[in-house]
Amino acid sequence: MEHQRCYIYEPQDTDERPAKRQRTSKTDSKGPQSERLATFRQLWHQQEKRIQASLDEVDKATQDQLVQFVSEAPTTSAACIPTGLVIAGPSIASHGPFFEHLGRRITDETDCTHVVLTGSESPNLKTLLKNLITKITSRTEEDDDLEIATTTRSGGPKLLNFDLAHVHRWQSKGRVKSIVVTIRDSEAFDSNVLVEMIDLFHSWLDRLPFVLLFGISTSAESFEDRLSGKSLRQLDGQKFDVTQSDEIVEKLFRATTASTEVQLQMGPNLMRRILDRQKDHVQNIQDYSDGIKYASMSHFFANHTSIFLQPDLSFRALDAHAFEAVRNLPSFRRRAEEMLDEGSTQEVRNMLDSDQFLFDLIIEEIRQGQQALHALNGAAVVLADIRRFLQMSPSVPLSSIWIRAASGELIGSPLLRETMLSIRKIPSNKLAQLLLALRGDSAITNYVDLTTYEDQLVELINSTDTTEPLRSQHDVRNESMRTTVVAQKVLLSKHKAALSEQDKAYSELIGNFHDNLERYFAEAFIDPRALFLSEILIYDLKSPHADAFQPRPRFAIERALASPQDYLGSESCGVDSDEGALSISQPATALVYQLYLESGPLINISDLWTAFSSMCGQEGNDGESKTMALFQRALAELKLLGLLKPTKKKTDHVAKMMWKGL
Amino acid sequence: MVSAKRKRADEEPETSTPRKLRNRTLADDELEVSDVQTPSRRARGRLNEDGTPRSILKKSGIRNGILATTPKSNRRLVFETPSKPAIQDTPNGTPVIVRNADRSARRKSNRKLIERAINGADSDEEDLEEEQLLAQQILSDDEDSEESTDEAGVRDEEDIAEPETPSKRGRGRQKGTIKKLGRPRKKRSPSPLQDLPPHEEYFWQNRPGGAKTSNNALPSQSILNHDEYFQAMQTYADPHRPEKEFLLELHGRAFDQWLFEFQEGFNICCYGYGSKRPITDKFAAHIYQRLSTTTPYKNSKKTPKVVIINGYAAGTTIKEVLTTVASTITSSHTKLPNKPTALLSYILDCLTENPPPHPVPIIINSIDSPYLRKGLNPSLLASLAAHPSINLLCTADTPNFPLMWDVGLKAQYRFLFHDATTFASYDAEIDVVESVNELLGRSGKRIGGRDGVAFVLKSLPENARNLFRILVTEQLALLLMDGADGDPDEPSTLRRSKATSSNKDTSGDSSQGIEYRVLYHKAVEDFVCSGEVAFRTLLKEFHDHQMIESRKDAMGTERLWVPFRLEDLEGLAEDLCEDAS
Repeated sequence: MEHQRCYIYEPQDTDERPAKRQRTSKTDSKGPQSERLATFRQLWHQQEKRIQASLDEVDKATQDQLVQFVSEAPTTSAACIPTGLVIAGPSIASHGPFFEHLGRRITDETDCTHVVLTGSESPNLKTLLKNLITKITSRTEEDDDLEIATTTRSGGPKLLNFDLAHVHRWQSKGRVKSIVVTIRDSEAFDSNVLVEMIDLFHSWLDRLPFVLLFGISTSAESFEDRLSGKSLRQLDGQKFDVTQSDEIVEKLFRATTASTEVQLQMGPNLMRRILDRQKDHVQNIQDYSDGIKYASMSHFFANHTSIFLQPDLSFRALDAHAFEAVRNLPSFRRRAEEMLDEGSTQEVRNMLDSDQFLFDLIIEEIRQGQQALHALNGAAVVLADIRRFLQMSPSVPLSSIWIRAASGELIGSPLLRETMLSIRKIPSNKLAQLLLALRGDSAITNYVDLTTYEDQLVELINSTDTTEPLRSQHDVRNESMRTTVVAQKVLLSKHKAALSEQDKAYSELIGNFHDNLERYFAEAFIDPRALFLSEILIYDLKSPHADAFQPRPRFAIERALASPQDYLGSESCGVDSDEGALSISQPATALVYQLYLESGPLINISDLWTAFSSMCGQEGNDGESKTMALFQRALAELKLLGLLKPTKKKTDHVAKMMWKGL
Repeated sequence: MVSAKRKRADEEPETSTPRKLRNRTLADDELEVSDVQTPSRRARGRLNEDGTPRSILKKSGIRNGILATTPKSNRRLVFETPSKPAIQDTPNGTPVIVRNADRSARRKSNRKLIERAINGADSDEEDLEEEQLLAQQILSDDEDSEESTDEAGVRDEEDIAEPETPSKRGRGRQKGTIKKLGRPRKKRSPSPLQDLPPHEEYFWQNRPGGAKTSNNALPSQSILNHDEYFQAMQTYADPHRPEKEFLLELHGRAFDQWLFEFQEGFNICCYGYGSKRPITDKFAAHIYQRLSTTTPYKNSKKTPKVVIINGYAAGTTIKEVLTTVASTITSSHTKLPNKPTALLSYILDCLTENPPPHPVPIIINSIDSPYLRKGLNPSLLASLAAHPSINLLCTADTPNFPLMWDVGLKAQYRFLFHDATTFASYDAEIDVVESVNELLGRSGKRIGGRDGVAFVLKSLPENARNLFRILVTEQLALLLMDGADGDPDEPSTLRRSKATSSNKDTSGDSSQGIEYRVLYHKAVEDFVCSGEVAFRTLLKEFHDHQMIESRKDAMGTERLWVPFRLEDLEGLAEDLCEDAS
């Protein structure tokens, strides 16, 4: 089997028994886990809906425009090919889904056919046309192949398979209004191919109603630079901007992590990691939601206590393990110790002894904890909204505000203080708008009574007769600088201008609002990790996540070879005896690798062999051939791993290809 | 090159000190002859001698010279006439010549450097060696001259000691201090500094002239062939066996997790050192067991289908992969499209239209093998893996495999990566003997050694075998005549001597191999072939199988030989004679 290339697995009879026994032994512990996984699916389903909704919303505007553009494109007798330049941003991973979605909408909503061409399948004009023709003509009925064959036989000269006359014949039956050709990754196309294609399409334009869409990762200008003046004249372009992936990620973040509906909260460290990766490497929405999904999967797969996140959980569905697990949580211990300090020993005893008591407590605490976390999320959103509304610089995205809030760093931070200061300074017209804007946030309306402030403000504004907005006492315009020279020294002094009655009243109003808001933030921005049962509510582990998404295969291989005791255990590799020295009980490949590390860019195999055989050579002819076999195997493995390469510089030498840790 | 320059710069202070002395003495001599002309001439000469860097020294030299001039010449004239010429001859005579040689070497090396810069940096090993030689030469010259001038200087000082003025003695001491300062810099540490960061280590090891390896060659018979290798490995008991099994068991515990990840639409990629075939085998069994207890298979004769692909197996094509996948979802009678892309879209359409009861599990061993990573294969596999009805588990061996996939492909694959280090040997993945031979560039092993030749010969006509026999016996006779002057009866000693000078055997110098004409005539005599055309045809067959090599020697005569070492030739000859009889 091992040398067969592809085959369907067939079990060997001998294997069957132990495998089965293993499976049955595991089933008893499987019960609660499948329960947890069901909970996961239930919760993730909601999350997925939120993600999908925000994604649809994001692309909707652009796609609407594009669909409209396509449907309104002039069908024939146009001088130029109608062209849409879709600036889709640098993240090529999101282009595919975008155009796929767009294509579905175009075919569904308009009377057009849609074809996507990619750079890899169009190395030259001929292949491009072949692909285009097969894609267009096989789009509808099945008998197309037949049809082409028959028509070629009956009508005139035989057509080559890259002749657009095929499309013309197909189109002549009045199938579609226009043919939309999408060049998905225009940067991947050779510019000559593009120029030739445009030229050809233009010459067919009186017969075939083409509409071109170019997916552009850079900018419309650089795309134009690649085309000749002639082909530019043949195009009638319009630009469409697609929402960039970092904006989408911000929106998704708002919908998923910072939402006030999530059951399982992601931790700040994990989110920071995911967002950083997003920024630095992938820029791909799919990957972002995968990251969050995998985090919840890990939580429910491995954490016994995660079962308590199941909505409407009944006491009887649980087994004792879950309670035992909760009693071992650090936050449980912390709570118990606190309660002992307070002297409520009976309750602690109950918590330890009675599962039913603990169950009620957990359910209640989880409800409260979730509320607190939702309040935190809401407050982070409010803060981000206020900052955006006031156009404060630097503009801090919601994600970073949230991460700081969730790490409990926001209270007393310059960011919050600065925001609060600028709130005290806003004039009345802006305040009215701000209050209006904040109304949408349910998180704040529960704490701060916005309507009373609005009423007061309206009253105040009505009572004034000027159209000038009211200003608070902290506004800079109400202050003036005065310089006086006393005994050859310059003194600077601030003077408050005299406030009008209305301004005074306004200052009081805004002072109240400010205090109210401050109280709200102080209440909401707790340190979530200090919450009781935070281990259930928050998932913030780095280890499986980092490995699963950002593997370091080179490091893993180097580590396995350089210090095999990490994997095989130290006693079998005999390392502890002598620090730093090579131990002969390590695997042969590891030994050769460590010798390899010590050598220069060229390695003499003969000397390497001498070193190796002197280290772990065995006596006798038989022993030597055994050592040689190990040595040869080690060399072959290093070659497979790409660490060694044959060289012609010297006989019996090999070239070193990798330096450890680079 | 940078470091070469630096080396030279380092040397300057050392070489300059003695030169200064020399110059001074020279100047003194000249002053004796003609006082007026010296400064200008000296300056000009120096300028011509070499470029800017010496300018500082030059100045000091002049100053010294000027300062030294008057009192010294007087004194010498008065006191030291008898001893002077003898002493001054030696420092004056030899160093000058040495300096010239030195200078020309430097010029030569400069020229070399420039040439290399122009011709591109594909510095062969020859260049390296030349540079090393040159450097050694220069160094030894310098040392020689230094020694001689040192001696001269010492003698000078000794001689001048009594009459010297305090000022001069001070200068002498200066020389000493400079030398002492200069010395330690010259010492080169033989081994790299410990605990260099990786990138520094890279540059340290790749510095020009840094790689010094011995010329030892591995004796040919010490490398095992297939039979010997397998024989040796069969008797070998792995001391780490329990630990490796424990590792495998650890990975086995994650199988349920992997299944869960499959269910959630992820694909899995395992990496790490060691063959991951044991894991994938176990996982295939696991998933098979799991599926056969679920609904469509539970009480029926149908069995779940797990596709297994060995990417490392030579000649694996994407078409085979896709055909195997297609065979799991369609009946065997349906006609499949021929082209991989069409086949793929057919599979994807099939999966979308009638999704199978469970996603099709596909296990690919070594997805980064050369067969699966070339051309469009990764993108085809990615779009296959992107389908929700496909579960892909693959393994990757090389350390840099993520570079195969760009962002788009990665998004399609939706991989979760797991470290699956097993330390298991790559038994199926690599042909150890073959890849070691390839690594060492041993010719003649290419067609599989002696056995390979025998195999090829079996499939050739009688005449060809006879011709090859003639060639081998002739070559043997030549070797024996060459190598064993006295006792051809002792092949063992002969073999050893041949083995030590093994380079000779393969490189095929003029004494080796049979002349084309001679071989032709022998062949005609033996009725192997009737004309030259037939002879050529036979030779071409050998050539195609890399069984013979040919080269024109210095005289322009073509020589043919079989690229094997003596012991292999003997074995071949025996085999062939057996066949013939």
